[in-house]
Amino acid sequence: MRRDSELLALCDRFFDAIEQKDYETLESCYAPECVVWHSHDGLYQSRADNLAMLKHGMAVQPKMRFRDRRIRTFEGGFVQQHTMHVTRDNGFEGKMDVCFIGYTRDGKLSRIYEYFDTGRIAEFLGPSGPS
Amino acid sequence: MTEIEVRELAAAFFDAYEHKRADLLDRIYSDDCIIWHNVFGRDTTREDNLAAMRNDTGQRRRTYDERTINAFADGFVIQYTLGGVMHSGHRGSMPICIVGRVRDGKITRIDEYMDSSKFAAWAGRA
Repeated sequence: MRRDSELLALCDRFFDAIEQKDYETLESCYAPECVVWHSHDGLYQSRADNLAMLKHGMAVQPKMRFRDRRIRTFEGGFVQQHTMHVTRDNGFEGKMDVCFIGYTRDGKLSRIYEYFDTGRIAEFLGPSGPS
Repeated sequence: MTEIEVRELAAAFFDAYEHKRADLLDRIYSDDCIIWHNVFGRDTTREDNLAAMRNDTGQRRRTYDERTINAFADGFVIQYTLGGVMHSGHRGSMPICIVGRVRDGKITRIDEYMDSSKFAAWAGRA
């Protein structure tokens, strides 16, 4: 059975948690077996490594926002298109267009696919490079 | 549109691309269809898109493989691998994701996400 409202709520909870630097809520969105695939390396990142990366980002980036969110749900998951805006220490606001596809199990994220263009990474990282 | 109809439309879209049938694509796109590419960050018109297909001689063959299609009432998301056979004989593959919007049996918008840093390796220039 499709549970669109639950999928939408999970999607919002996940991205809002990153914006609000609410690590506990973020972690609660991931099923124990969760893996995260990225288009730049074609590899599945483990739950622990991905959470550590997000936690680090929350600690070092002054502000992170997911703007222009366009969400659609389907049987077993959702797709969200957004523009990720990150404010750096030096005030630079980086942005990147992302397509995020989440497959769910029992109301949690079980598999994630993220597509974006690393050819335009300078527009995201800014003059100081990665932080 | 029903989920089956959306899936059939998505399949027809890929068939048109795989066989370089701009005439079929012309029938699949709505009159106001927009195609957006993340690598450029801007919209292109259906006319530009169709012209690009008609003039495309970049590869011997392109295939749209390993498709994972998920459909919803007004569109679809498709994760796939773009295969290419270059004139040099080089074979490339690259992951791509497209999100489509549909209305009255036609595609009204395509948003395409790929990684431009992979283009050279795909084409065998890296």
